[in-house]
Amino acid sequence: MSQYYTTTDHFVLVPALMLALFGCAVLLFEVLVFPHPRQRKWLLLFVLLGLAFAGAGVWRQQNFLASQGIEELTAFGGTLTVDGFAIFFNWIFLAASLIVTLISYRYLEVEGEHHGEYYGLILLANCGMFFLATGTDLITLFIGLELMALCFYILVGFLREDRRSNEAALKYLLLGAFSSGFLVYGFSVLYGLAGSTKLRAVADALASREPWDPVVFLALATTAVGLLFKISAVPFHMWAPDAYEGAPTTVTAYLSVGSKAASFALLLRVFLMPLGAAREVWEPLLAAVAVATMTVGNLAAVTQTNIKRLLAYSSISHAGYILLGLIAGNETGIKGVLVYILVYTFMNLGAFLVVVALRRKDLLGEDLDDLAGLVYKSPGYAILMLIFLLSLAGIPPTAGFIAKYYIFLALIETRHYVLAVIGTLYVAVAIYYYFRIVRSMFLAPLADTGPLTTSFGLRLALVVTGVLTLGIGIYPEPFLGFAQTSLAR
Amino acid sequence: MLDTFFFYAFALLTLGGGILTVTRRNAVHSAMWLIVSLAGAAGLYLLQGAEFLFAVQIVLYVGGIMVLFLFVIMLVNLDEAAKMRQFNKQWWVALACVSGVGALVAYFLRQGAGAFRLARPPQGAPILEGNTERIADVLFSEYLLPFEIASVLLLVAIVGSVLMAKRKV
Amino acid sequence: MTFLDLIWLIPLFPLAGAAIMLFLGRKLDPQQPSAVALAPGVGPAPGMHGLGHAGHSHAGPGKKLISLLCPGTVLLSLIFSIGAVAELARLPEKTHQLILYTWIAGLPFQTATGSLARFSADWGFLLDPLSAVMILVVTGVGFLIHVYSIGYMGHEGGYYRFFGYMNLFVFFMLMLVLANNYALLFVGWEGVGLCSYLLIGFYFHKKSASDAANKAFIVNRIGDAGFILGMLMMFHVFGTVRFADVNRALAGPGYAPEASWGVLSVMALLLFVGATGKSAQFPLYVWLPDAMEGPTPVSALIHAATMVTAGVYMVARSNALFSLAPATSDIVAVIGAFTAILAASIALVQNDIKRVLAYSTVSQLGYMFLACGVGAYWVAIFHLYTHAFFKALLFLGAGSVIHALGGEQDMRRMGGLKEKLPTTYWTMLAGSLAIAGIPGLAGFFSKDEILWQVYSSPQGSTALFVVGLITAGMTAFYMFRLMFLTFHGKPRMDAHTLAHAHESPPVMTVPLAVLAAGSVLAGWIGVPKLWTAFPDAFRSFEHWLEPVMLRAAAHGADAGHHDAATEWLLMGLSVAVALGGIWVARVFYLRRPELPERLAQSAPGLYNTLLNKWYVDEVYGAVFVDGLAKGGGTALSEFDARVVDGGVNGTGWLARFTSQLSIWWDTWIVDGAVRLVSFAVKVVSYPVRLLQTGYVQAYALIFVLGVLVIFGYYWMR
Repeated sequence: MSQYYTTTDHFVLVPALMLALFGCAVLLFEVLVFPHPRQRKWLLLFVLLGLAFAGAGVWRQQNFLASQGIEELTAFGGTLTVDGFAIFFNWIFLAASLIVTLISYRYLEVEGEHHGEYYGLILLANCGMFFLATGTDLITLFIGLELMALCFYILVGFLREDRRSNEAALKYLLLGAFSSGFLVYGFSVLYGLAGSTKLRAVADALASREPWDPVVFLALATTAVGLLFKISAVPFHMWAPDAYEGAPTTVTAYLSVGSKAASFALLLRVFLMPLGAAREVWEPLLAAVAVATMTVGNLAAVTQTNIKRLLAYSSISHAGYILLGLIAGNETGIKGVLVYILVYTFMNLGAFLVVVALRRKDLLGEDLDDLAGLVYKSPGYAILMLIFLLSLAGIPPTAGFIAKYYIFLALIETRHYVLAVIGTLYVAVAIYYYFRIVRSMFLAPLADTGPLTTSFGLRLALVVTGVLTLGIGIYPEPFLGFAQTSLAR
Repeated sequence: MLDTFFFYAFALLTLGGGILTVTRRNAVHSAMWLIVSLAGAAGLYLLQGAEFLFAVQIVLYVGGIMVLFLFVIMLVNLDEAAKMRQFNKQWWVALACVSGVGALVAYFLRQGAGAFRLARPPQGAPILEGNTERIADVLFSEYLLPFEIASVLLLVAIVGSVLMAKRKV
Repeated sequence: MTFLDLIWLIPLFPLAGAAIMLFLGRKLDPQQPSAVALAPGVGPAPGMHGLGHAGHSHAGPGKKLISLLCPGTVLLSLIFSIGAVAELARLPEKTHQLILYTWIAGLPFQTATGSLARFSADWGFLLDPLSAVMILVVTGVGFLIHVYSIGYMGHEGGYYRFFGYMNLFVFFMLMLVLANNYALLFVGWEGVGLCSYLLIGFYFHKKSASDAANKAFIVNRIGDAGFILGMLMMFHVFGTVRFADVNRALAGPGYAPEASWGVLSVMALLLFVGATGKSAQFPLYVWLPDAMEGPTPVSALIHAATMVTAGVYMVARSNALFSLAPATSDIVAVIGAFTAILAASIALVQNDIKRVLAYSTVSQLGYMFLACGVGAYWVAIFHLYTHAFFKALLFLGAGSVIHALGGEQDMRRMGGLKEKLPTTYWTMLAGSLAIAGIPGLAGFFSKDEILWQVYSSPQGSTALFVVGLITAGMTAFYMFRLMFLTFHGKPRMDAHTLAHAHESPPVMTVPLAVLAAGSVLAGWIGVPKLWTAFPDAFRSFEHWLEPVMLRAAAHGADAGHHDAATEWLLMGLSVAVALGGIWVARVFYLRRPELPERLAQSAPGLYNTLLNKWYVDEVYGAVFVDGLAKGGGTALSEFDARVVDGGVNGTGWLARFTSQLSIWWDTWIVDGAVRLVSFAVKVVSYPVRLLQTGYVQAYALIFVLGVLVIFGYYWMR
């Protein structure tokens, strides 16, 4: 260890190191150790090991913070900050990666694209997410974001033989690069204002200027554009339905939770800390975006017949709800956002897991009719899907209810009554389209009698997400407590 | 005065080269214009007194990477692509968008021109020695971490391009 | 360990049953999938032999297990409920709150008054007199209906699925009534909605069934939005949603009845919007008649006895709030009265036996809200309780008729079934007499009490009373129209159906008999105060509910200043109206089959209504027997044609017009509104799809436009 790389630096960096190392190892081992396609399942072991080591690193950080009674630990001269917030998100990322890894091998075999690169990219994307949650430096955040995004561009286009996948990847790449341009411009203006890339310095610089300062506004607007694109908020959401539909379903699942959660981590960091001074500027702006996002997401979902597309619009609308928590901005609101993201991760993953199980060699399994009568064929899957959908719609006693409740409560506390009413009304619309899926599963004759594509990993993942979705709803206390401690900043 | 003149000249090279890069239909022409654009950027570095960056830009980008580009373009038959009719010719929409956004950005920058913390112009004679060392120092101390992450980023890019290019595994 | 400590088990039994059914049911009842064309050609096709066959010819062991298990779980709940209620009665304060753990907590936040409150909603159960009544009704009636379903659903596909949903429903309903706070009540509220949705659409191969399920679902969403907002407001104002705490806060000095629209009134109104959805009140009642597409036991359990009364329960539960919100209470009363008479008028002309009962349910729920609106909450619950007996009985009886006739629901193709289905007939007669309000039967006590409270309560009015009275007459009429059309007169079905008509098996008739006994006897715990001959033990219902309705009771205390003579008069009036309704029905539908035979030759110019025929008979007799002059005869027949006919026709036309109007309102305005909503959503979603062209250039363009708008925001501040 030197002065440039201290023990603290190492301690903070360990999870990312593990993810990157195992990511590279998986890439290498596929070629050197497991060249035969049948051996590729063994790569899973390394992925799990990598995640486990990363998890251990995060665990140690969490314990360290708790035992020392300190709120944050900075490393690399303020480039990385480990605090409750970062740890909270890192757990979400690791859980999402773990679940996606578990369900992928069978799916990729069916698709005929089972390669080690897939797992490598999952781990490296997770590495990027780590920097999004932990980074407090503009350059680190930007590179972390690009690392994650680049992995996703490749993963979305992973089905090289599938034109939809290619198209989705290309669209995502082009628009993603476009939005990154705006984001990096915004960051550069922030740097210009502060003379430093550290978020804390930027915050100080912005606090000394008036909120409606034109340059501050320029930085805010361009940064907001880049970030809103990543969370697929209207009007920068256009990529999402196409990318979600075209991507392999496992990747769609990962994209919809991992990428979204990481982007929200970044968004929260940037909007709460450096841009917090300009709150009066961005609050109405984000409110308008949130309403537009909920409107477009919910209304467009109504007429979809492709489940992946439907869930894509639903995930757009969820971004709107999460933004509402940020708009409320008080403690309840931010806690609501954290809880919402946590809950959303599990329920949305769960819903996609069922869609993954529908895919067979001879069946795309993405149409609403492919679910018809699922309850007769596989009641367990149908009931779990029902739970996920109820949760996505926000009906108690599922987790989604708790999440929405905190958001609405925060809105009412901060007297955003109109937003609360709009949000509640859109819940009614959302129930309508989620219940189109329920209707298909429970109130339609069985259409396809073929077996579901299941595997041990998929079943395990389903049970875990199902138990969590219902469990957080029934006994939310520990998870709320987790969110609570994560915010002790 | 002379600085200002050179700044605008290099900026023009950078921008014009960039625009021509994306508008040329012949891939070789595009690559050549990219070289012009990169050279313009190198010139800007030189104006800022960043000689090392200038050298790296010329050697690596203009010299190395662009030559590779040209090789690839000439090896892979891209004539087909050049002959293909472009199905979207709404360049005026693009122009309107670009000029609109550009004008707005310019407006905001102009309004708040005094906001930026600009580096002081070097007093007296430019300090030539130690330029490279100072870059190295910053890169491996303050920006060590982004630097390393960037290497992972490049690795992902390589993996991705190989994966996409491989026909069938 | 006492039953009171085990009340958390009460809902869990049916949940366990539901879980077993839904996850393992397919293995227990392997014949079932043929109904859904899982394996065409395998197993018997239930549609082939219809409903009309008695016995359990192919009841496998798995099916028997289901038949034992599912009603068994409800029976267990019933036993535990009885035990818990018996213990509750011995407690001095008659309230038992069991909090398992805190469900949502840990967030201190600012309430509207500025004080810091700790957000709390428990996973907790509250057994007090009100919920005691409810759990007994839910488990008792629920158990009987489960038993009945063994017979009724025995030959239907999806046996296990049916029972799984039914058990799940009972679970959620018990959660709803046992919850100790609004948030947990909402869990049950949504859960019963879900089960109702699944059960209405149970015969999903019928398009009308799955449309009905959707309609119920959409309409209820409007109510739910109201409920959620009301609940959020409650959080905001009181900082809690626990019933006990809310009531304590409301009883505090800070709150008095609001003179005009205030926070409490708005909150109560939002909750009431929720109640109108769930309890099918105007204007959200439209889903309930369509919900009859579900199997008949479902209609009996969910759409008559339990779920639809959840709104009434919720309003009664919030009586402390509603009694502080007189403006909202007025709305509740008016909506209740209007719904009561509107639905009753529609029921007059319906021909589908289940639809008559459905509109009747809507109408009776209107009564309950009317009672709530005038502050007589205990009477509303009393009527809820008696109504559960006789309406479940009537539905099950109707189911028995439908079962006997192989699925026929049109009363125009029934008739003369009295001898064929004696048990069904006599039990249904008891139910009809009860709902009509014949003294001595359950419905009389509760309905009469409602009418009296409406008249005498300070919040009531004579106009509302008159509406209630007319509704009572209509109720008696349409119920006996149903009875006469179904059981009396000549059979109007085809010979084959008639030959196959048979009494239902005991598994179906025994529940009918038990419910009939309930319909006769259940009211004797709420005997009017006027009947001084009976000791107070016969009035125990009101006393039982007193601890829950303290505030409301205090407000209604001055109701007693009316004299006994008035009360006797009103009671006589309501009985007279009921008898009148029955008599009119008898004239219209019972005598008609005999009259045409006797007068076939002598009265060729018969008109549509029976009353009219009767006059024609007299006039024609006078003309032919007395041999009056042709001119006089012509004059008389002119008089007959113009005045008597006109009057009778006019009345009939008016009645028909109003009910046509309400049907028209139903079909075009309310249905239209529902359709409009979904249409509007589709229309609005169209441009979104239009923008989603798939061209990445178009996406980028929208992106840039978004950027420009965000920049433009700088000047919009």
